[in-house]
Amino acid sequence: MKCESCQEALEEYLDGELKDHEAREIAVHLAACSSCAAESSTFAAEQELFSRYDRDLAIPSSLWKQIAERTATPALRPVSENGFGARLVALFRVPSFAFSFAAAALLVVVALVIYATYLKTEKPKPFVAETATPRESSPKEQPAPAPPGSAEPQKHIALGNQKSVRRKLHAVKAITVEQSDVLSSDFGVQDIEDQETAKHIEQTQNLLQSIRNVKLNDNDVEIDVSYDKALSRRLLNENIVLRRDAEMKAKYPTKMLLSDLEPLLIDIANLPDQAKPEEVRVIKDRVQKTEIVAALIGY
Amino acid sequence: MKRLALDELNLEAQPGAFAGTLMNSSRDLVIRVCQGDQEAFRLIFDRYSRPVIGFIYDMVSDRELAEELTQETFVRAFRAIHRMKPETKLSTWLFGIARNVARESLRARTRANMQVTLEHESVMDVSDQKSIPVDRLLSKELNELIRRALEALDDDKRLVFTLKVFHQCSYEEIAEITGFSLAKLKTDLHRARAEMRRRIQPYAGVGYEV
Repeated sequence: MKCESCQEALEEYLDGELKDHEAREIAVHLAACSSCAAESSTFAAEQELFSRYDRDLAIPSSLWKQIAERTATPALRPVSENGFGARLVALFRVPSFAFSFAAAALLVVVALVIYATYLKTEKPKPFVAETATPRESSPKEQPAPAPPGSAEPQKHIALGNQKSVRRKLHAVKAITVEQSDVLSSDFGVQDIEDQETAKHIEQTQNLLQSIRNVKLNDNDVEIDVSYDKALSRRLLNENIVLRRDAEMKAKYPTKMLLSDLEPLLIDIANLPDQAKPEEVRVIKDRVQKTEIVAALIGY
Repeated sequence: MKRLALDELNLEAQPGAFAGTLMNSSRDLVIRVCQGDQEAFRLIFDRYSRPVIGFIYDMVSDRELAEELTQETFVRAFRAIHRMKPETKLSTWLFGIARNVARESLRARTRANMQVTLEHESVMDVSDQKSIPVDRLLSKELNELIRRALEALDDDKRLVFTLKVFHQCSYEEIAEITGFSLAKLKTDLHRARAEMRRRIQPYAGVGYEV
Protein backbone atom coordinates (compact mmCIF):
# COMPACT_ATOMS: atom_id res chain seq x y z
CA MET A 1 0.00 0.00 0.00
CA LYS A 2 1.21 3.49 -0.85
CA CYS A 3 1.40 6.26 1.75
CA GLU A 4 -1.08 8.32 -0.23
CA SER A 5 -3.71 5.57 -0.10
CA CYS A 6 -3.02 5.02 3.58
CA GLN A 7 -3.45 8.69 4.42
CA GLU A 8 -6.66 8.90 2.43
CA ALA A 9 -8.16 6.04 4.41
CA LEU A 10 -6.54 6.85 7.77
CA GLU A 11 -9.44 8.89 9.12
CA GLU A 12 -11.98 6.17 8.33
CA TYR A 13 -9.59 3.56 9.73
CA LEU A 14 -9.29 5.38 13.05
CA ASP A 15 -13.05 5.96 13.08
CA GLY A 16 -13.49 2.18 12.82
CA GLU A 17 -15.40 2.49 9.57
CA LEU A 18 -13.27 0.34 7.27
CA LYS A 19 -13.97 -3.26 6.38
CA ASP A 20 -11.77 -5.83 8.12
CA HIS A 21 -9.50 -6.54 5.15
CA GLU A 22 -9.03 -2.81 4.46
CA ALA A 23 -8.25 -2.15 8.12
CA ARG A 24 -5.68 -4.97 8.08
CA GLU A 25 -3.94 -3.42 5.08
CA ILE A 26 -3.69 -0.07 6.85
CA ALA A 27 -2.45 -1.71 10.04
CA VAL A 28 0.28 -3.53 8.11
CA HIS A 29 1.32 -0.31 6.39
CA LEU A 30 1.37 1.65 9.67
CA ALA A 31 3.61 -0.96 11.23
CA ALA A 32 6.11 -0.50 8.40
CA CYS A 33 5.87 3.24 7.65
CA SER A 34 7.07 5.67 10.30
CA SER A 35 5.70 8.72 8.50
CA CYS A 36 2.13 7.38 8.32
CA ALA A 37 2.44 6.01 11.85
CA ALA A 38 3.37 9.50 13.08
CA GLU A 39 0.33 10.94 11.37
CA SER A 40 -1.83 8.27 12.94
CA SER A 41 -0.40 9.10 16.39
CA THR A 42 -1.12 12.79 15.91
CA PHE A 43 -4.68 11.99 14.95
CA ALA A 44 -5.09 9.70 17.96
CA ALA A 45 -3.66 12.40 20.27
CA GLU A 46 -6.14 14.85 18.81
CA GLN A 47 -8.97 12.42 19.56
CA GLU A 48 -7.68 12.08 23.10
CA LEU A 49 -7.65 15.86 23.45
CA PHE A 50 -11.26 16.12 22.34
CA SER A 51 -12.25 13.31 24.67
CA ARG A 52 -11.19 15.58 27.55
CA TYR A 53 -13.75 18.17 26.53
CA ASP A 54 -16.12 18.68 29.42
CA ARG A 55 -19.07 21.00 28.91
CA ASP A 56 -19.67 21.08 32.65
CA LEU A 57 -23.38 20.71 32.13
CA ALA A 58 -25.60 19.57 34.95
CA ILE A 59 -29.08 18.17 34.56
CA PRO A 60 -31.27 20.33 36.80
CA SER A 61 -33.78 18.37 38.83
CA SER A 62 -36.49 20.71 37.61
CA LEU A 63 -35.97 19.50 34.05
CA TRP A 64 -37.62 16.13 34.59
CA LYS A 65 -40.43 17.73 36.59
CA GLN A 66 -41.25 20.03 33.69
CA ILE A 67 -41.13 17.16 31.20
CA ALA A 68 -43.30 15.01 33.46
CA GLU A 69 -45.86 17.81 33.75
CA ARG A 70 -45.96 18.32 30.01
CA THR A 71 -46.18 14.62 29.19
CA ALA A 72 -48.86 13.94 31.77
CA THR A 73 -51.34 16.59 30.62
CA PRO A 74 -54.81 15.15 29.99
CA ALA A 75 -54.71 16.27 26.37
CA LEU A 76 -51.96 13.76 25.66
CA ARG A 77 -53.57 10.85 27.46
CA PRO A 78 -56.14 8.66 25.74
CA VAL A 79 -59.71 9.83 26.34
CA SER A 80 -61.71 7.86 28.89
CA GLU A 81 -63.02 4.60 27.44
CA ASN A 82 -66.67 5.08 28.35
CA GLY A 83 -67.01 8.76 27.63
CA PHE A 84 -68.40 10.55 24.65
CA GLY A 85 -64.86 11.41 23.56
CA ALA A 86 -63.91 7.74 23.36
CA ARG A 87 -66.90 7.00 21.19
CA LEU A 88 -66.03 9.96 19.04
CA VAL A 89 -62.45 8.74 18.63
CA ALA A 90 -63.68 5.23 17.85
CA LEU A 91 -66.02 6.68 15.27
CA PHE A 92 -63.09 8.21 13.46
CA ARG A 93 -60.84 5.20 13.84
CA VAL A 94 -63.03 2.81 11.87
CA PRO A 95 -63.43 4.94 8.75
CA SER A 96 -59.72 5.67 8.64
CA PHE A 97 -59.04 1.92 8.73
CA ALA A 98 -61.71 1.28 6.15
CA PHE A 99 -60.34 4.02 3.97
CA SER A 100 -56.89 2.45 3.89
CA PHE A 101 -58.47 -0.87 2.85
CA ALA A 102 -60.51 0.84 0.18
CA ALA A 103 -57.42 2.64 -1.11
CA ALA A 104 -55.49 -0.63 -1.26
CA ALA A 105 -58.38 -2.38 -3.06
CA LEU A 106 -58.61 0.49 -5.54
CA LEU A 107 -54.91 0.20 -6.27
CA VAL A 108 -55.25 -3.54 -6.90
CA VAL A 109 -58.19 -2.93 -9.28
CA VAL A 110 -56.26 -0.23 -11.17
CA ALA A 111 -53.26 -2.55 -11.47
CA LEU A 112 -55.49 -5.37 -12.81
CA VAL A 113 -57.13 -3.05 -15.36
CA ILE A 114 -53.74 -1.87 -16.57
CA TYR A 115 -52.52 -5.44 -16.83
CA ALA A 116 -55.67 -6.53 -18.73
CA THR A 117 -55.30 -3.60 -21.13
CA TYR A 118 -51.69 -4.54 -21.68
CA LEU A 119 -52.66 -8.16 -22.46
CA LYS A 120 -55.27 -7.00 -24.96
CA THR A 121 -52.89 -4.76 -26.84
CA GLU A 122 -50.13 -7.35 -26.92
CA LYS A 123 -50.92 -9.28 -30.14
CA PRO A 124 -47.78 -8.99 -32.18
CA LYS A 125 -48.33 -11.87 -34.63
CA PRO A 126 -51.49 -10.64 -36.39
CA PHE A 127 -49.97 -7.19 -36.69
CA VAL A 128 -46.80 -8.60 -38.17
CA ALA A 129 -48.81 -10.67 -40.69
CA GLU A 130 -50.71 -7.58 -41.67
CA THR A 131 -47.65 -5.46 -41.93
CA ALA A 132 -45.83 -8.05 -44.00
CA THR A 133 -48.23 -7.47 -46.91
CA PRO A 134 -49.33 -3.94 -46.49
CA ARG A 135 -50.10 -3.39 -50.16
CA GLU A 136 -51.88 -6.68 -50.74
CA SER A 137 -55.61 -6.70 -50.41
CA SER A 138 -58.07 -9.54 -50.54
CA PRO A 139 -60.48 -9.80 -53.44
CA LYS A 140 -63.34 -8.98 -51.07
CA GLU A 141 -61.77 -5.67 -50.39
CA GLN A 142 -61.39 -4.82 -54.08
CA PRO A 143 -63.77 -2.03 -55.01
CA ALA A 144 -66.53 -3.25 -57.31
CA PRO A 145 -66.47 -1.69 -60.79
CA ALA A 146 -68.84 1.22 -60.83
CA PRO A 147 -70.76 2.68 -63.65
CA PRO A 148 -68.89 5.44 -65.31
CA GLY A 149 -69.79 8.89 -64.18
CA SER A 150 -71.10 7.89 -60.75
CA ALA A 151 -69.62 9.16 -57.47
CA GLU A 152 -68.93 5.65 -56.13
CA PRO A 153 -65.31 5.25 -57.31
CA GLN A 154 -64.24 8.33 -55.35
CA LYS A 155 -65.99 6.96 -52.28
CA HIS A 156 -64.19 3.63 -52.62
CA ILE A 157 -60.90 5.34 -53.14
CA ALA A 158 -61.55 7.29 -49.98
CA LEU A 159 -62.42 4.10 -48.12
CA GLY A 160 -59.36 2.42 -49.56
CA ASN A 161 -57.25 5.30 -48.29
CA GLN A 162 -58.81 5.04 -44.85
CA LYS A 163 -58.02 1.35 -44.75
CA SER A 164 -54.47 1.85 -45.82
CA VAL A 165 -54.08 4.56 -43.20
CA ARG A 166 -55.57 2.21 -40.63
CA ARG A 167 -53.16 -0.52 -41.71
CA LYS A 168 -50.28 1.85 -41.44
CA LEU A 169 -51.43 2.77 -37.96
CA HIS A 170 -51.66 -0.94 -37.11
CA ALA A 171 -48.18 -1.41 -38.50
CA VAL A 172 -46.85 1.47 -36.42
CA LYS A 173 -48.70 0.15 -33.40
CA ALA A 174 -47.26 -3.32 -33.97
CA ILE A 175 -43.79 -1.91 -34.17
CA THR A 176 -44.43 0.19 -31.11
CA VAL A 177 -45.67 -2.83 -29.16
CA GLU A 178 -42.66 -4.86 -30.20
CA GLN A 179 -40.32 -2.02 -29.33
CA SER A 180 -41.99 -1.46 -25.99
CA ASP A 181 -41.33 -5.11 -25.19
CA VAL A 182 -37.69 -4.67 -26.05
CA LEU A 183 -37.47 -1.46 -24.08
CA SER A 184 -39.16 -2.91 -21.03
CA SER A 185 -36.53 -5.63 -20.93
CA ASP A 186 -33.88 -2.89 -20.94
CA PHE A 187 -35.51 -0.86 -18.20
CA GLY A 188 -33.50 -2.62 -15.51
CA VAL A 189 -30.21 -1.73 -17.18
CA GLN A 190 -31.40 1.79 -17.94
CA ASP A 191 -32.52 2.29 -14.35
CA ILE A 192 -29.16 1.17 -13.00
CA GLU A 193 -27.35 3.54 -15.36
CA ASP A 194 -29.63 6.42 -14.38
CA GLN A 195 -29.14 5.61 -10.71
CA GLU A 196 -25.38 5.58 -11.18
CA THR A 197 -25.51 8.96 -12.92
CA ALA A 198 -27.80 10.37 -10.23
CA LYS A 199 -25.51 9.07 -7.48
CA HIS A 200 -22.47 10.46 -9.25
CA ILE A 201 -24.13 13.85 -9.66
CA GLU A 202 -25.15 13.90 -6.01
CA GLN A 203 -21.59 13.16 -4.88
CA THR A 204 -20.16 15.78 -7.23
CA GLN A 205 -22.76 18.27 -6.01
CA ASN A 206 -21.67 17.67 -2.41
CA LEU A 207 -18.02 18.09 -3.33
CA LEU A 208 -18.63 21.34 -5.21
CA GLN A 209 -20.91 22.63 -2.46
CA SER A 210 -18.21 22.02 0.10
CA ILE A 211 -15.70 23.89 -2.10
CA ARG A 212 -18.15 26.71 -2.65
CA ASN A 213 -18.91 27.02 1.06
CA VAL A 214 -15.33 26.81 2.30
CA LYS A 215 -14.46 29.80 4.45
CA LEU A 216 -11.17 31.28 3.31
CA ASN A 217 -9.27 33.28 5.81
CA ASP A 218 -6.55 35.71 4.79
CA ASN A 219 -4.40 34.37 7.59
CA ASP A 220 -4.53 30.81 6.26
CA VAL A 221 -1.21 29.70 4.86
CA GLU A 222 -2.36 26.37 3.53
CA ILE A 223 -5.61 24.47 3.32
CA ASP A 224 -5.77 20.70 3.58
CA VAL A 225 -7.67 19.52 0.50
CA SER A 226 -6.27 16.00 0.33
CA TYR A 227 -9.65 14.37 0.89
CA ASP A 228 -11.40 16.53 -1.71
CA LYS A 229 -8.60 15.90 -4.13
CA ALA A 230 -8.84 12.12 -3.78
CA LEU A 231 -12.61 12.26 -4.08
CA SER A 232 -12.35 14.46 -7.16
CA ARG A 233 -10.01 11.99 -8.85
CA ARG A 234 -12.47 9.19 -8.35
CA LEU A 235 -15.38 11.31 -9.54
CA LEU A 236 -13.41 12.42 -12.58
CA ASN A 237 -12.90 8.83 -13.72
CA GLU A 238 -16.59 8.11 -13.20
CA ASN A 239 -17.53 11.32 -14.99
CA ILE A 240 -15.60 10.43 -18.14
CA VAL A 241 -17.26 7.01 -18.37
CA LEU A 242 -20.75 8.37 -17.70
CA ARG A 243 -20.32 11.26 -20.14
CA ARG A 244 -19.28 8.92 -22.97
CA ASP A 245 -22.16 6.64 -22.12
CA ALA A 246 -24.64 9.54 -22.18
CA GLU A 247 -23.25 10.67 -25.53
CA MET A 248 -23.62 7.21 -27.06
CA LYS A 249 -27.21 6.96 -25.87
CA ALA A 250 -28.02 10.47 -27.12
CA LYS A 251 -28.78 11.76 -23.62
CA TYR A 252 -27.54 15.19 -24.56
CA PRO A 253 -28.65 17.20 -21.47
CA THR A 254 -26.86 14.69 -19.22
CA LYS A 255 -23.83 14.71 -21.48
CA MET A 256 -23.69 18.53 -21.44
CA LEU A 257 -23.96 18.64 -17.65
CA LEU A 258 -21.22 16.05 -17.21
CA SER A 259 -19.03 17.91 -19.72
CA ASP A 260 -19.42 21.07 -17.65
CA LEU A 261 -18.31 19.21 -14.52
CA GLU A 262 -15.11 17.82 -15.92
CA PRO A 263 -12.91 20.95 -15.95
CA LEU A 264 -13.80 21.64 -12.32
CA LEU A 265 -13.09 18.08 -11.25
CA ILE A 266 -9.76 18.17 -13.10
CA ASP A 267 -8.78 21.40 -11.33
CA ILE A 268 -9.69 20.04 -7.90
CA ALA A 269 -7.88 16.76 -8.61
CA ASN A 270 -4.75 18.71 -9.60
CA LEU A 271 -4.58 20.76 -6.41
CA PRO A 272 -1.69 20.02 -4.10
CA ASP A 273 -2.64 18.29 -0.83
CA GLN A 274 -1.90 21.50 1.05
CA ALA A 275 -3.34 24.11 -1.28
CA LYS A 276 -2.82 27.85 -1.07
CA PRO A 277 -5.94 29.90 -0.33
CA GLU A 278 -5.63 31.61 -3.75
CA GLU A 279 -5.77 28.26 -5.52
CA VAL A 280 -8.89 27.23 -3.64
CA ARG A 281 -10.43 30.67 -4.11
CA VAL A 282 -10.09 30.45 -7.91
CA ILE A 283 -12.04 27.18 -7.97
CA LYS A 284 -14.54 28.44 -5.42
CA ASP A 285 -15.20 31.54 -7.57
CA ARG A 286 -15.67 29.42 -10.65
CA VAL A 287 -18.16 27.17 -8.88
CA GLN A 288 -20.10 30.25 -7.78
CA LYS A 289 -19.87 32.01 -11.14
CA THR A 290 -20.94 29.04 -13.26
CA GLU A 291 -23.81 28.23 -10.84
CA ILE A 292 -23.03 24.60 -11.52
CA VAL A 293 -24.38 23.49 -8.13
CA ALA A 294 -27.83 24.87 -9.03
CA ALA A 295 -27.67 22.96 -12.33
CA LEU A 296 -26.78 19.77 -10.44
CA ILE A 297 -29.60 20.26 -7.98
CA GLY A 298 -31.93 20.84 -10.94
CA TYR A 299 -30.85 17.53 -12.47
CA MET B 1 -10.29 -0.36 16.10
CA LYS B 2 -13.48 -1.06 17.91
CA ARG B 3 -15.99 1.73 18.07
CA LEU B 4 -17.42 2.45 21.47
CA ALA B 5 -21.13 1.80 21.68
CA LEU B 6 -23.10 4.94 22.40
CA ASP B 7 -25.21 3.35 25.06
CA GLU B 8 -22.15 2.16 26.96
CA LEU B 9 -20.73 5.65 26.88
CA ASN B 10 -23.92 7.14 28.15
CA LEU B 11 -24.07 4.74 31.02
CA GLU B 12 -20.48 5.39 31.95
CA ALA B 13 -21.11 9.09 31.86
CA GLN B 14 -23.76 9.02 34.54
CA PRO B 15 -22.66 7.15 37.62
CA GLY B 16 -25.57 6.62 39.92
CA ALA B 17 -28.09 7.99 37.51
CA PHE B 18 -29.22 4.67 36.13
CA ALA B 19 -30.09 2.60 39.16
CA GLY B 20 -32.19 -0.25 37.87
CA THR B 21 -31.85 0.76 34.24
CA LEU B 22 -29.34 -1.94 33.37
CA MET B 23 -32.11 -4.50 33.60
CA ASN B 24 -34.14 -2.56 31.08
CA SER B 25 -33.06 -2.64 27.47
CA SER B 26 -33.93 0.42 25.44
CA ARG B 27 -36.44 -1.63 23.48
CA ASP B 28 -38.17 -2.83 26.66
CA LEU B 29 -38.38 0.71 27.92
CA VAL B 30 -39.93 1.91 24.67
CA ILE B 31 -42.56 -0.85 24.83
CA ARG B 32 -43.36 0.04 28.43
CA VAL B 33 -43.72 3.72 27.57
CA CYS B 34 -46.10 2.81 24.75
CA GLN B 35 -48.14 0.89 27.32
CA GLY B 36 -48.41 4.07 29.38
CA ASP B 37 -45.61 3.47 31.89
CA GLN B 38 -44.38 6.94 32.84
CA GLU B 39 -41.62 5.49 35.04
CA ALA B 40 -40.10 3.81 31.97
CA PHE B 41 -39.93 7.18 30.28
CA ARG B 42 -38.21 8.54 33.37
CA LEU B 43 -35.57 5.82 32.96
CA ILE B 44 -35.10 6.79 29.33
CA PHE B 45 -34.65 10.39 30.43
CA ASP B 46 -32.08 9.38 33.06
CA ARG B 47 -30.16 7.37 30.52
CA TYR B 48 -30.15 9.81 27.63
CA SER B 49 -30.61 13.31 29.05
CA ARG B 50 -26.89 13.94 29.48
CA PRO B 51 -25.79 13.08 25.93
CA VAL B 52 -28.83 14.86 24.52
CA ILE B 53 -28.22 18.09 26.44
CA GLY B 54 -24.51 17.91 25.54
CA PHE B 55 -25.34 17.49 21.88
CA ILE B 56 -27.83 20.37 21.93
CA TYR B 57 -25.40 22.59 23.81
CA ASP B 58 -22.78 21.94 21.14
CA MET B 59 -25.32 23.05 18.55
CA VAL B 60 -26.63 26.21 20.25
CA SER B 61 -23.79 27.21 22.63
CA ASP B 62 -26.19 28.42 25.31
CA ARG B 63 -26.80 26.57 28.58
CA GLU B 64 -30.29 27.82 29.36
CA LEU B 65 -31.43 27.35 25.81
CA ALA B 66 -29.92 23.85 25.78
CA GLU B 67 -32.02 22.97 28.86
CA GLU B 68 -35.18 24.31 27.23
CA LEU B 69 -34.49 22.44 24.01
CA THR B 70 -33.72 19.23 25.90
CA GLN B 71 -37.08 19.52 27.57
CA GLU B 72 -38.73 20.03 24.18
CA THR B 73 -36.82 17.05 22.74
CA PHE B 74 -38.06 14.66 25.42
CA VAL B 75 -41.62 15.96 25.22
CA ARG B 76 -41.65 15.41 21.46
CA ALA B 77 -40.07 12.00 21.93
CA PHE B 78 -42.79 11.02 24.39
CA ARG B 79 -45.52 12.12 22.00
CA ALA B 80 -44.01 10.28 19.04
CA ILE B 81 -42.58 7.17 20.72
CA HIS B 82 -45.44 4.93 19.60
CA ARG B 83 -44.47 5.71 15.99
CA MET B 84 -40.85 4.69 16.50
CA LYS B 85 -39.83 1.79 14.25
CA PRO B 86 -38.68 -1.32 16.15
CA GLU B 87 -35.40 -1.50 14.22
CA THR B 88 -34.46 2.09 15.09
CA LYS B 89 -31.87 2.61 17.80
CA LEU B 90 -33.30 4.74 20.59
CA SER B 91 -30.24 6.97 20.91
CA THR B 92 -30.17 7.61 17.14
CA TRP B 93 -33.86 8.44 17.19
CA LEU B 94 -33.47 10.84 20.13
CA PHE B 95 -30.51 12.58 18.51
CA GLY B 96 -32.59 12.98 15.36
CA ILE B 97 -35.33 14.76 17.34
CA ALA B 98 -32.75 16.84 19.21
CA ARG B 99 -31.17 17.84 15.94
CA ASN B 100 -34.52 19.03 14.56
CA VAL B 101 -35.32 20.94 17.75
CA ALA B 102 -31.89 22.61 17.76
CA ARG B 103 -32.12 23.44 14.08
CA GLU B 104 -35.52 25.10 14.51
CA SER B 105 -34.09 27.15 17.34
CA LEU B 106 -31.06 28.17 15.30
CA ARG B 107 -33.28 29.20 12.42
CA ALA B 108 -35.27 31.39 14.75
CA ARG B 109 -32.19 33.42 15.58
CA THR B 110 -31.37 36.04 13.06
CA ARG B 111 -28.42 35.31 10.86
CA ALA B 112 -26.96 38.72 11.55
CA ASN B 113 -26.97 38.14 15.30
CA MET B 114 -25.23 34.81 14.88
CA GLN B 115 -22.49 36.32 12.77
CA VAL B 116 -21.89 39.08 15.27
CA THR B 117 -21.71 36.51 18.07
CA LEU B 118 -19.28 34.30 16.18
CA GLU B 119 -17.01 37.16 15.24
CA HIS B 120 -17.08 38.58 18.71
CA GLU B 121 -16.60 35.46 20.79
CA SER B 122 -14.89 32.84 18.68
CA VAL B 123 -12.54 34.59 16.38
CA MET B 124 -11.57 37.69 18.30
CA ASP B 125 -11.17 36.14 21.72
CA VAL B 126 -9.25 33.05 20.63
CA SER B 127 -6.78 35.16 18.71
CA ASP B 128 -5.92 37.00 21.92
CA GLN B 129 -4.65 33.84 23.60
CA LYS B 130 -1.03 32.84 23.64
CA SER B 131 0.30 29.46 22.61
CA ILE B 132 0.33 27.09 25.57
CA PRO B 133 1.55 23.46 25.39
CA VAL B 134 -1.41 21.19 25.73
CA ASP B 135 -0.15 19.45 28.89
CA ARG B 136 -0.03 22.84 30.61
CA LEU B 137 -3.51 23.84 29.54
CA LEU B 138 -5.90 23.75 32.44
CA SER B 139 -8.98 21.75 31.73
CA LYS B 140 -11.07 24.91 31.95
CA GLU B 141 -8.92 26.63 29.35
CA LEU B 142 -8.97 23.59 27.12
CA ASN B 143 -12.75 23.38 27.36
CA GLU B 144 -13.07 27.04 26.46
CA LEU B 145 -10.68 26.62 23.54
CA ILE B 146 -12.59 23.65 22.14
CA ARG B 147 -15.95 25.33 22.72
CA ARG B 148 -14.96 28.41 20.78
CA ALA B 149 -13.39 26.43 17.96
CA LEU B 150 -16.54 24.35 17.77
CA GLU B 151 -18.72 27.43 17.74
CA ALA B 152 -16.83 28.79 14.74
CA LEU B 153 -17.69 25.76 12.59
CA ASP B 154 -20.68 26.06 10.33
CA ASP B 155 -23.85 24.19 11.35
CA ASP B 156 -23.41 21.08 9.18
CA LYS B 157 -19.77 20.59 10.11
CA ARG B 158 -20.45 21.14 13.81
CA LEU B 159 -23.27 18.62 13.63
CA VAL B 160 -21.25 15.77 12.11
CA PHE B 161 -18.15 16.57 14.17
CA THR B 162 -20.11 16.51 17.43
CA LEU B 163 -21.90 13.27 16.62
CA LYS B 164 -18.69 11.52 15.56
CA VAL B 165 -16.10 12.86 17.97
CA PHE B 166 -18.12 13.48 21.14
CA HIS B 167 -20.86 10.88 20.76
CA GLN B 168 -18.99 8.17 18.81
CA CYS B 169 -21.85 7.67 16.34
CA SER B 170 -21.06 5.57 13.28
CA TYR B 171 -21.23 7.13 9.82
CA GLU B 172 -24.43 5.19 9.24
CA GLU B 173 -26.01 6.58 12.41
CA ILE B 174 -24.90 10.10 11.55
CA ALA B 175 -26.46 9.73 8.10
CA GLU B 176 -29.69 8.58 9.74
CA ILE B 177 -29.74 11.45 12.23
CA THR B 178 -28.79 14.20 9.82
CA GLY B 179 -30.23 12.93 6.55
CA PHE B 180 -26.88 13.67 4.87
CA SER B 181 -25.40 11.35 2.27
CA LEU B 182 -22.30 9.40 3.27
CA ALA B 183 -20.19 11.43 0.84
CA LYS B 184 -21.34 14.73 2.31
CA LEU B 185 -20.86 13.71 5.90
CA LYS B 186 -17.36 12.36 5.20
CA THR B 187 -16.40 15.60 3.48
CA ASP B 188 -17.92 17.71 6.25
CA LEU B 189 -16.26 15.62 8.95
CA HIS B 190 -12.87 15.83 7.30
CA ARG B 191 -13.18 19.58 6.88
CA ALA B 192 -14.46 20.04 10.42
CA ARG B 193 -11.49 18.11 11.82
CA ALA B 194 -9.09 20.16 9.70
CA GLU B 195 -10.67 23.42 10.87
CA MET B 196 -10.64 22.35 14.51
CA ARG B 197 -7.00 21.34 14.17
CA ARG B 198 -6.14 24.67 12.57
CA ARG B 199 -7.90 26.64 15.30
CA ILE B 200 -6.59 24.68 18.25
CA GLN B 201 -3.07 23.81 17.16
CA PRO B 202 -1.58 27.33 17.49
CA TYR B 203 -2.82 27.62 21.07
CA ALA B 204 -2.31 24.06 22.23
CA GLY B 205 1.20 23.30 21.01
CA VAL B 206 2.21 21.56 17.80
CA GLY B 207 1.54 17.85 17.45
CA TYR B 208 -0.70 17.54 20.51
CA GLU B 209 1.96 15.79 22.59
CA VAL B 210 0.00 14.74 25.63
